[in-house]
Amino acid sequence: MQADNRETIFVEDAVVLQHQPLPAGQYLMRLAAGDTASQALPGSFIHLRCHDDLPMRRPMSIMRADAGAGWIEILYKVHGSGTKKLAAARVNDQLSLLGPIGVPFKQNNYRSKPLLIGGGVGIPPMVFLAERMCKQTDKQAGGVNPLVIMGSEIPFPFTPRPSRIMIDGIPNHVTACMPLLEDWGVASRLASKQGYSGCYDGFVTGMARQWLENMDADQRQQVEIFSCGPTPMLRAVAHLAQAFSLPCQVSLEEYMACAVGGCAGCAVPVYQNGKLSMQRVCVDGPVFAGNAVYPLNHDVT
Amino acid sequence: MPSGNEQLAIDFCGMQFNTPLVLLSGCVGFGEEYTRVKGFSNRDVGGVCLKGTTLAPRLGNVPHRIAETYLGMLNSIGLQNPGARKVVDEYLPKLDFDETRFIANICGSTIEEYVEVARIFNDSGIDAIEINISCPNIKEGGVSFGNYPEMSAKVVEACRRVTGKPLIAKLSPNQTDIVENARLCIEAGSDALAVINTVMGMAIDVERRRPIIGSNQGGLSGPAIKPIALLKTHQVYQACKDKRIPIIGQGGIASTNDALEFFMAGATAIGIGTALFYDPLACKKINEGIVQYLDKRQLGHVTKLVGALELNSGAVEDCGGG
Ligand SMILES: Cc1cc2nc3c(=O)[nH]c(=O)nc-3n(C[C@H](O)[C@H](O)[C@H](O)COP(=O)(O)OP(=O)(O)OC[C@H]3O[C@@H](n4cnc5c(N)ncnc54)[C@H](O)[C@@H]3O)c2cc1C
Ligand SMILES: Cc1cc2nc3c(=O)[nH]c(=O)nc-3n(C[C@H](O)[C@H](O)[C@H](O)COP(=O)(O)O)c2cc1C
Ligand code: FES
Repeated sequence: MQADNRETIFVEDAVVLQHQPLPAGQYLMRLAAGDTASQALPGSFIHLRCHDDLPMRRPMSIMRADAGAGWIEILYKVHGSGTKKLAAARVNDQLSLLGPIGVPFKQNNYRSKPLLIGGGVGIPPMVFLAERMCKQTDKQAGGVNPLVIMGSEIPFPFTPRPSRIMIDGIPNHVTACMPLLEDWGVASRLASKQGYSGCYDGFVTGMARQWLENMDADQRQQVEIFSCGPTPMLRAVAHLAQAFSLPCQVSLEEYMACAVGGCAGCAVPVYQNGKLSMQRVCVDGPVFAGNAVYPLNHDVT
Repeated sequence: MPSGNEQLAIDFCGMQFNTPLVLLSGCVGFGEEYTRVKGFSNRDVGGVCLKGTTLAPRLGNVPHRIAETYLGMLNSIGLQNPGARKVVDEYLPKLDFDETRFIANICGSTIEEYVEVARIFNDSGIDAIEINISCPNIKEGGVSFGNYPEMSAKVVEACRRVTGKPLIAKLSPNQTDIVENARLCIEAGSDALAVINTVMGMAIDVERRRPIIGSNQGGLSGPAIKPIALLKTHQVYQACKDKRIPIIGQGGIASTNDALEFFMAGATAIGIGTALFYDPLACKKINEGIVQYLDKRQLGHVTKLVGALELNSGAVEDCGGG
């Protein structure tokens, strides 16, 4: 709220550099937005005007940011009126955006086995976080070795391929991975109940539980969970983390008007130190401690 | 010719406003939130109304608190606020009073609560107090004070007794006779009026067969309510002009043209709320646009526009449209 936050969010007229249709109404969009790109962190989002006829903006996670080249990428799924209009945007069109917004994922624990769980349109921030983690690995003693688990009930927004990276605790026939992550050397696995080839048949939390149960207690102490996706999935992830006593951060979604902390329209119940408060997803989040928003023994939602 | 800044600076109930624009309650938190945005400045506006404040802290309503509608939005925040004491002790000291005038927005579920909150703000550095009379009156079965002129006036009268700071009664459009309400509030001691608060509305998710808003209904704001707000401003102005009671016109103002319309209808100051969600830098653009309009017509100062409307023959108020 105070002075140290001044001028941290930019208003940019971003030019569409690329706009690629993907399966099942999903789109990948690259936008020239130099100021946002230079400050974006995993978990940050933009508040995007989808079309001049629709003045209310839409929040979208940043999936990748290249500060040098001055672009950001978002991955979105057509949902209603706004994203439908967004899908019609063409290369060289200009879209107004605010960004980067929000408290990003904190990598303060540096546990060596981060587990990133993304579901549906919650995949983008997990890709961003994985990219940052694998680039950090060189710098940090011992490094971190993330596993990314992604779930989708519609075709994935990329063409899965069999992974060459072995992962203990994941069934051998579950081989499908995200090529971009694999190319960065980050292990990933996919889950779906749609019977897609090479995918885990079930929910992301089912696969995550198997992986965790296969570890001994010392190994498990090295796990920290980061997650973004639909609410039922996030709740299940937060509860899984609490069952195994693991630190967990989740990135929430809520309807937003201002996205800069002014209207309290996006506030959700958060339970901390035995006290219930209403916190704004836009600037107090979108990333919160899993046990604060979905406490195991005291569900406040 | 005076410079742009001089053309826009106004006196509002004895307060010096940098420009006639006022940021509206509930849209800018406790005054600092929008300074996160590069290029935004509280210096571009004459006043900033803080979020509605009650005596005790309030957590507010469950999600979803907002819903987009055609050309506007519904909100039902439920007056989430930390309570008047905390606002005065912890939030006001952090505000930069060199930048603009800060106006409290006070709420209560009883007249006594309004008075207590007014008293707490009276003993603070706040520049003025806006009374949000659209709160439910728990002693009268939860009907809104603002829907009844007599009840509104009682709130104003009681607050008047405990403060010498400028008092602004914020009128609700959800009533039959807003002009009568304005008259009674002026008689009760209101120094200025804010016209209008949001219009009650609803939106339904047909898949879930439930209202989108967690508390079922909400206040409609944004361009959808602008014609209603403009007419109410024009009507209320008739009750104000002889008494020199200034109006903060508001409801869907999003462009220079909108602002000019409200000046002409009788507003001395122009409230900007929902438009900030569309464009956080809107105020700069509206200020520039007003100066351009004044310069093009060699009008000099912005106050020349206030109430400058010339009605067509045939009194619009009486023909009921159609
Ligand atoms: C922090 C954050 C990050 C997000 N990241 C992504 C992303 O990377 N990719 C993606 O596809 N989607 C993302 N979403 C969800 C996205 O904002 C909604 O899908 C989008 O707003 C739907 O707009 P619409 O006009 O198409 O749908 P409509 O249903 O027509 O929208 C009506 C109104 O409801 C709001 N709304 C509807 N669903 C949501 C929702 N899930 N979250 C917030 N507001 C909603 C809209 O903004 C709009 O104001 C994110 C949401 C948040 C809060
Ligand atoms: C999210 C939101 C919260 C609001 N909260 C308050 C409030 O606490 N007190 C109040 O008097 N008005 C409140 N209002 C009403 C506005 O101050 C303003 O009168 C109204 O929105 C009309 O102006 P606009 O169309 O420019 O937004 C709120 C409006 C919005 C959109
Ligand atoms: S959307 Fe306005 S406070 Fe978060």
